[in-house]
This record gives sequence, C-alpha cells and structure tokens, in this order.
Amino acid sequence: MTRRPAGRPLVPAYLSTGGVARPSRPHLERLSVLARTEEPPPLGLPAAELALLDTLAGGSLAVVEAAALLRLPVSAVRVLAADLVDRDLVLARAPIPPAERFDPDLLKRVADGLRALKHHA
Amino acid sequence: MMELPDLVAGGLAAGTLSALALGGGLLRLRRQQTRQRAEIAALRTQLEGSVRAFTAEVEHLADRRVPAAARQVAHPHVAEPGPLQPLTTGTPLGIALENVVLALQSEVAAQRTRVDAAAQAGMRGATREIQAALYRLQDALRGLQQRYDDPELAQTLFRLDHENEQSLRRAQVTAVVCGAWVGLAREESHLVDAVTGGQARLAGYHRVQVHNHLETGTALVSHAVEPVAIIVAELLDNALRHSAPDTDVVVSLEHVHHGVCVTIDDAGLGMTRDERDRAQRLVAGDDLILLTDLGDPPRMGLAAIGRLTRQFDLGVDVSSASPYGGVRAVLRVDSHLLSRLDPADRPPAASAPRTTRKAAADRPAPSHAYGTESGVPEAAPGHHEPSDTDGLPQRRRRSPAAAPEESPAPRPAHSPAPSPARRPEEAAAALGALQSGTAAARAAAENAGADGHGDTPADRTGETDHTHHTDHTDIEGEAAR
Repeated sequence: MTRRPAGRPLVPAYLSTGGVARPSRPHLERLSVLARTEEPPPLGLPAAELALLDTLAGGSLAVVEAAALLRLPVSAVRVLAADLVDRDLVLARAPIPPAERFDPDLLKRVADGLRALKHHA
Repeated sequence: MMELPDLVAGGLAAGTLSALALGGGLLRLRRQQTRQRAEIAALRTQLEGSVRAFTAEVEHLADRRVPAAARQVAHPHVAEPGPLQPLTTGTPLGIALENVVLALQSEVAAQRTRVDAAAQAGMRGATREIQAALYRLQDALRGLQQRYDDPELAQTLFRLDHENEQSLRRAQVTAVVCGAWVGLAREESHLVDAVTGGQARLAGYHRVQVHNHLETGTALVSHAVEPVAIIVAELLDNALRHSAPDTDVVVSLEHVHHGVCVTIDDAGLGMTRDERDRAQRLVAGDDLILLTDLGDPPRMGLAAIGRLTRQFDLGVDVSSASPYGGVRAVLRVDSHLLSRLDPADRPPAASAPRTTRKAAADRPAPSHAYGTESGVPEAAPGHHEPSDTDGLPQRRRRSPAAAPEESPAPRPAHSPAPSPARRPEEAAAALGALQSGTAAARAAAENAGADGHGDTPADRTGETDHTHHTDHTDIEGEAAR
C-alpha cells in the first residue's frame, strides 16, 4: 500500500472538481462499482479524472475505494465518476445488494469447521 | 629789559595757539563722536536686522523645514525647503540649523522603526492565533467532508473550505510580513503539489492553468514547501488581480540549470516602470519592511514574498514583461531546496496536473482491484496517456533482501537526487554489511593474535578485505545520500 503522508494535505479536495460537489448523475453510491471502458481518454481531461481512470486501470473498484486511493472525499469522487460516466469512459454498476451477500454466521461456521478439521489432522 | 607788549604778544600768541590746538582737538573729538554714534546706530540697526533675520530663520525652521524633514523620513519624495536666506548656508548658523534638521530626521527614523516593530509584534501575536484557529477549522471541515457525502452538504463544505483557505492565506501572509514563521511544518512534498496547493488558496483558482514539465518525483525539502506555496499563491493573486476576469493565468514548471523555475504569466495591463521597480525591490527582500510603507489597505503580498525569499534563499523576479502582455513572475527554486520522492511510494495529489514528460521506464500497471470485469481487459488498449505518466499510486514490488556480502545496489540512473527515505531493504543491507564486516575483522584479528601464521591467511585476508571494501563503499554511498 502506498504510504499516507502525515499532516494536512497541501491540495484541498474542492480543487479536484473545481468546487463542484453535485454529481451530474445522482445514482452513484459509496459502494457503486466503477469500471474502465475501452474508450481512450480525450485530451484536456482534468487531472483528477485522469487519476481516477488510472486507479481503475487494474480493474474495477467501488467508489469508496477509489476515494481512499485518491485521498479524496467520496463526494468529490462521485462528481469525477459521474463526469467520466457521462463521457463513456467509465461504467458504473449499482452496489451489490445486501441480500446477495453471504451470511456472516454461515461463514463463521464454515471457518470453525475447517479449523476443527485442521486440529484432527 | 624786555618790553611788556612783547610779552603780552607772546603770551597771546601762545594762548591763541593752544586755544586753536584745543579747539581743533575738540572739533576732532566731536567729529569722531558723531562718527562713532553713527557707527553705533548702524551697528544697532544691523543687529536688529540680524536678530530679525535669525528669528525669521528659526521660525521658518519650525514652521516649514522641521515638518518637511520629518515627513521626508517616511516619504523620500517630499522636498525639504532650504533656509530662508540662501546666504546662511555654509555659515556657522547655517550649519547649526542643518544639524538640527539632521538630528531630528535620525530620531524620527528611529522612532518610526520602534513603533513599527511594536505594531508588527502585536499583529504577529494576533495573526498567529487566528492562523491556528483557522487550521483547526480546516481540520473540522475536512473531517466533515470525509464523513458526509450528501451533495448539498458537500457543496457547502467545499465552499466553506475554500473560504477558510482564503482567510488562512491572508492571516498567514500578514504573520509572515510581521516577521513570524510560516506557521506550518510540512513534510517533503511534490513541487507540483505545493504549486497546486498555492493555487487552491485563491478566489480565482479556476483561471489558473498549470503546465507541469517536471520530471516525476521532483519534490521540495520539507522546510521549503510552505514558503513555495505562499509565494506561488501571492504571485498568482497579483496576476489574477491585474488581469481581466476572462483571461487565464498560465503557470509552467520547468527544470533549469541549477534547479526549477515556476513561471507565472498573466495577460493583464502590466506594470509601469516605477511599479515594476518597486515590486522588484519588495520581492528582493533587501529593504527593511515597515507596515506604514505598505499603504492602506496594506499590500502584504510582495512584502511577504520578500521576507520569504530572503529567509529561504529563493529567487523571485518580476521585472520582465509577459509575452501575453502582462507581467511575467518567475520563482526560482535552487537545487539545494529540491529533493526527490518516489511517486510509487508517495504519489502527488490527484488534482495536481500530470507531467508532460514521458516516464523513463514504464512500470507495471498497479492493481488495487479485486479482479477484472469480463468486459474490461486488464490493460485497456489505446489507454496510453495515463500509463505513460508516472503519477500513479502503485504497489512496490519487494525484491528478496540482498545478501549482505553483495556490494550495494547501484542507484538507478534516473535519480540524481536520491530519495532520503531509505527503503527497509536498503537499511537492512547496510546494517548487515556493517555487522558482518565487523565480525569478520574481529575474527581475523583474533585468529592473527592466536597463532602467528594462520591456517589459510590468504583466504581470510581476502575475505576481510572484501567485506571491508563492501562496508566502506556502502558507508560512502550512505553519506552521499
């Protein structure tokens, strides 16, 4: 993981979006998954949007993860992502609904079972 | 016998003669007296005239010359009227009066400096507290920004953060002009971050275009970060204020022979020769800064730049005209204030403009993600520009720790100013080399002491030499770092 600089950041978050905090599309959430499309980025794309594209170069990420990597608040990343979605540079998918997640109890029981097996062996 | 008449005649003649002589003397005396009286009268009128002239001269001194001389201390262009009688110059009176004026001027100048120093101390104390309070407010606002992402609230928080940055800038600049420390310790940072950070402190930051032509990883040593951000903010503020609101201010960052130059061009009206000379004097920081000289409302920006250039050995030039018609301001950062950061380890801020240079070697693409979507290939074809640039957050691949006997890894060719943060592997290798070198030397010394001719002296000395050599070069390498 990259080292987080100590102390206050030199560049405030509002600069990344030019002071805009209202995304052009409202449906992006913290856990919406962003993925890069094959569209090449046009010239003159703002630096922060290029940075967001770069974080997606290795695969898809949730909005909140991209925000952590870019050291920006989620509100700023939502604006950047919405703009990139508008430019067809990024695909956004709705967050995975909670119903499809695994039951933590079940996972715990499987883990316990595996541990018991290991002890037997 | 003598005749009586003869006697009488002789006596008479003598009397007449003496009377004549007496009369002549008396007459002369009287004439002399009148002459002297006239002389005295003349002298008296002359004295009266002199006293009148002297009084007039002193009155003139009090009424005209003293106020003008006092004013001249603050405003050198005020002419000091000379003496009323030009003839007195050079006479003892003239010299004495001149000395009165000079003594007055030096005392007024001393008082002025003292009063200004007191005012600066007061301002310094107040602004330092305001600055600290604004930093606390900034922390609170940024905490809120991280926690809440409702667009309306986020919009308000962004606006408040920007307002806060502007207030902070004013408080900080005032404190710096009054001789305070910049008020914030920063760690080593990318130069482009310092410039972008300075840009963010201004109301018109939208109009600023930053072109970054630096090598990736060009950074500032920690104590130069905040001064550079302040200077860039003030130069940009000047440029924004003196150009039309529909024009851009262009900033370019470039390497020069002995450092880096930040060039700020505006398309405004430019400055007259007098203004330019004054600005150049202020930013050079050679003159004593007095608050009373800065005007009302005080123009702090250039004075703050002057203080900082002097303290931190930075160079600012505002004497040339911009090809866009306005002013060209150049900040020069010499190489002793520069360092290098590994962009993989400490990437620049997301909003900082990318460098236009191509990276020396393409690094493997970072992978923070869980896995690729079926529709999205691992490395998007045609996605060249961002992967060429180097400002990506990347994982660093750890190579297996180097064996201590190995000579230290050669520094990569593309890093002339090596990163001061030593990698753990390097530190381990250096310490290991030191330890094994010491141990080998001890063993050799002990063996040499135990038996005069060792079993395999050639082997051992060879080994010791080798270890020592490694150790030595490693330490040299560290010292150069």
